Amino acid sequence: MNATASSASAVPADSAATSVALTTTASNGVPAAPTTAAHPQPWAERLRRIGGPRRSPLAMIVWFVILLALTAVILYPLIWLAFATFKPSSEFGQNFSLIPWEATLDNFRKVLRGIAGVPLSRFFLNSLLVACLAVAGTLISASMAAYAFARIKFRGVGGLFTCMIGTLLLPFHVIIIPQYIMFNKMGLIDTYVPLVIGKFLACEAFFVFLMVQFIRNIPRDLDEAARIDGAGHPRIFLSVILPLLRPALITSAIFAFIWSWNDFLSPLIYLTSPERYTLPIALRLFNDATSTSDYGATVAASFAALIPVLLFFLFFQRFLIQGVATQGLKG
Amino acid sequence: MFSKKLAPALGLGLAAALLLTGCGGSGSSDPSGSLDPNQQITLDLAFWGNDVRAGMYEEAIVLFNQQYPNIKVSQTFLGFPEFWEKRQIEAAGGGLPDVMMFDYSYLRQYSENGLLLDLAPYLGSTIKTDGFTEAALGIGVVDGHTTAISIGTNAWAMYLNNDILTATGVAPYPGNTSFADYDAWMDQVTQAGGGTVYGGQDWSGRIQNFEIWLRGQGKDLFTDASEVNFTAAELKAFWEAGQPGRDGICVPQSKLEEVYPKFGLGSGLAATELTWDNFGASYLGDLGVEQTSLAIAAPPIYRAGAQDLYLKPSMMHAIAANTDQPVAAATLVDFLLNSEAVGAIFGTNRGIPASATQLAGVNLDPLSQKIYDYEQSIADRLGAAPPVPVVGYGTIEEKFRVLGTELGLGTITVDQAVDQFLSEVSHVLNS
Amino acid sequence: MTVLTTTKAPVTVAPARRRQPGRGNPRARRELLAGYGFLVPWLIGFFGLTLGPMVMSLYLSFTRYNIFTPPEFIGLANYVRMFTDDPVFIKSVKVTLTYVLAGTPLKLAAALGVALLLNYFTKGSGFFRSAFYAPSLIGASVSIAIVWRAMFGTDGPVDSALGLIGLDLGGWVGNVDLAIPMMICLTIWQFGAPMVIFLAGLQGIPQELYEAAEVDGASSLAKFRHVTLPMLSSVIFFNLLLETIHAFQVFGSAFIISNGSGSPGGMLNFMTLYMYKRGFADMQMGYAAAIAWVVLIFVAIVAALLFRSSKAWVHYAGETR
Repeated sequence: MNATASSASAVPADSAATSVALTTTASNGVPAAPTTAAHPQPWAERLRRIGGPRRSPLAMIVWFVILLALTAVILYPLIWLAFATFKPSSEFGQNFSLIPWEATLDNFRKVLRGIAGVPLSRFFLNSLLVACLAVAGTLISASMAAYAFARIKFRGVGGLFTCMIGTLLLPFHVIIIPQYIMFNKMGLIDTYVPLVIGKFLACEAFFVFLMVQFIRNIPRDLDEAARIDGAGHPRIFLSVILPLLRPALITSAIFAFIWSWNDFLSPLIYLTSPERYTLPIALRLFNDATSTSDYGATVAASFAALIPVLLFFLFFQRFLIQGVATQGLKG
Repeated sequence: MFSKKLAPALGLGLAAALLLTGCGGSGSSDPSGSLDPNQQITLDLAFWGNDVRAGMYEEAIVLFNQQYPNIKVSQTFLGFPEFWEKRQIEAAGGGLPDVMMFDYSYLRQYSENGLLLDLAPYLGSTIKTDGFTEAALGIGVVDGHTTAISIGTNAWAMYLNNDILTATGVAPYPGNTSFADYDAWMDQVTQAGGGTVYGGQDWSGRIQNFEIWLRGQGKDLFTDASEVNFTAAELKAFWEAGQPGRDGICVPQSKLEEVYPKFGLGSGLAATELTWDNFGASYLGDLGVEQTSLAIAAPPIYRAGAQDLYLKPSMMHAIAANTDQPVAAATLVDFLLNSEAVGAIFGTNRGIPASATQLAGVNLDPLSQKIYDYEQSIADRLGAAPPVPVVGYGTIEEKFRVLGTELGLGTITVDQAVDQFLSEVSHVLNS
Repeated sequence: MTVLTTTKAPVTVAPARRRQPGRGNPRARRELLAGYGFLVPWLIGFFGLTLGPMVMSLYLSFTRYNIFTPPEFIGLANYVRMFTDDPVFIKSVKVTLTYVLAGTPLKLAAALGVALLLNYFTKGSGFFRSAFYAPSLIGASVSIAIVWRAMFGTDGPVDSALGLIGLDLGGWVGNVDLAIPMMICLTIWQFGAPMVIFLAGLQGIPQELYEAAEVDGASSLAKFRHVTLPMLSSVIFFNLLLETIHAFQVFGSAFIISNGSGSPGGMLNFMTLYMYKRGFADMQMGYAAAIAWVVLIFVAIVAALLFRSSKAWVHYAGETR
């Protein structure tokens, strides 16, 4: 942010030119603007790639085996976690092997019973509610902001765009204490407002940026045509841009959901009643240092909490990976 | 500005946001003297612990509601460090829960800042005190005001893992020896353990051991006026006395790092551990063993005959000064402190109950019986309690522990540790 | 930030700027109204939830503030204490820099290496790409931190595997020298996100360049050196920038793996973690705010250095062809 101010003067008040550095990926034809990534090149064409036709079967097999081995190494921690859910708590810290000495379902039984009289399903529902609000807020506010940055020319847009990009670099820890004091004064502790208000106010710059990039690749002819028909910005936004923005909206929705689902620090700070806890905080309760540390239940609950993310991943991985590929979003 | 289609969407979002805000505050206020049985009241109750303890509170509140159906209690709980992080932040905004479980080391800070309700008007009436000893009541007094009452008491003690002793064939530690003799005893276990189990963990890493070391010489850590009451040389001597332990007798610190937040005993690596006597239940859970596997002995002593130990509140209950319902809150506190039925629910989960009426309801299991017997057995070693811990004691205690781990890992020297500790203490006391 | 906007490239600029947004021009006024109208939520968020709190934390960094009594202005004392009287802070800076400077290049090297490998294949690469990407989504969760502790513990899978090849390092979790490497392994494990970006970059390199190189008789290595790397340099830069900034902000996994303690021996006490402890556990809010600002300054410096250096090594398509 401190740098933002100094750069603002150097930035032409033209929103399009401002994005440059971060758009290099899209603008040089090097990697993938959304439109190209959405249509992977045909198989035959990809075969022509480096040494494609001349690959020996032996080399192919060797590489394939290497990839398989790599996959095994990378997925091992997840496999370990799956097995660990069957270990009794007392084996943690003692049995580091994959297979439990005495396999048990107690961990899952315990998890299903819930915590502090609150059933596990409640935490799932809370997480779901927060995540859905986060998605809704992100889609509405980020698409509006992105439209303004990408399509409307007005005084100050360049500087504001730079500010928005600047927040991408901002370490979140700088603002957490004042934010808490603020929400506390407003009496919003133990509500979901602090968790989702930022989403309705487009505070997650990644999404704004992602959508700006996408909108820039939508041909202007369409808006021009609408404009000639007498449409104002709200109409162009709603009936031209939003429908075309769908792929970016889907990608954003999935990321907003998963990030909200995994978020740990904000709910820890803002939620105080167990019946309002989201999953990650509920998980933490299983693992308390001053009383019995129940690793078994923690692991089982963590595993359960990962399942929705993994399912999302399985079903929507195409969108996720495209989102990452096009915009450099990170999980 | 916005089209007709967009407006409803925005409105919806806004409405949702407003709806969520509705979940906030608690009941209305009538800070008058007596409790109106027809008034609907909501109290927030916060405590630290795990889901086992939460279940117990749940049961206790069901009983409470049979007597006071108009008082809805919504309970919240967290692990100990998170609990205090959250209270600290709430304290800043004046939003503390009505009734809190409270820790001795934060009492002065909260009392001096006027965050806790002065209980004087309720003592002996709403909150019955006949079950408490003078000493137990006196311990929650800061600057003449009673702002918290002990739920239970505990004392510094040594836990022993009988299973390890049986396996290594070493006779149990007898208690009340010198620190050097304790080292020698631990060494026997470590030798017999062959690198898998150890006699204990470095005792010089805990500020409580430094405290009894000092009290063995007749002084406390801090004065009544919250000034440092020990010298750099004394601290240096203490940490140097721990050197043999770090040089191969005790569990290597690198192994302890791996099992943290469990410690030596709880992870099955150490045969003994110096700790508060109400930690037994959590060791049982950590180790997954029967109650008979644990024994309690008196800690080593700096000088035979010294009165270095003291009874401390293991946990307390306090009421926030900002509560709208002081009478209802006091009623709840009384119930949680004195009810025999509540005693039966908790057992010694919160320490040996300080209230004799509540203790009567406790059915002592074998481990609780050992704790109870231990506290009786150390009567001769019990001295006057030290002044209520200084503001920021939690920070100081944690710093001491961290420096202990660094000594164990060999990343700093004793001199550096002494410097860092004193610097930290002066920052804490001056802030 | 400063340099963020300096690399001029022919972007999808509007088809000629119709009218200058001048005063008194009704069209410009309408655009102005529309522009700020659409930005209302973002503006509220930016000023209310980002800029405002930042200014407040900057102010707090010059105060002693225990949250109970009003902040007391003490000038630069917090910053002075940090660099002269707080070895723990100095250590946290070293730890953070080690992690960032060693972890980020290794993660990107892994990402690029695997991306090259995957690019070699046509069939089945979708499966591998997905499998490799999965850790990026869950890497910061509580459960993964617990798994990590177990993986790198004494006699854990890592210890055992290394034992097989004669390396007896013992557990990493409690080892002062291996704790940061353990964290670096965790970040490398999440190489999937930059890998996907690299993959997209690789697939965007025109095939003709390789064909031309082959005509010149270039070896595979030469092709990599003279075609792939230059064509990919803008993507490398992009990844490097994002991952570096990301690495500075490491918090969750270090917090959970060390159970909030930053152990062993402060080797996991990253600057963000130390800030959190000073603020929320010790209630030294002013000091914590000062630490947060030092983190911010570090991030800004590193980002600026990266942008400066990028002129020397980042090539754009126009220059190579």
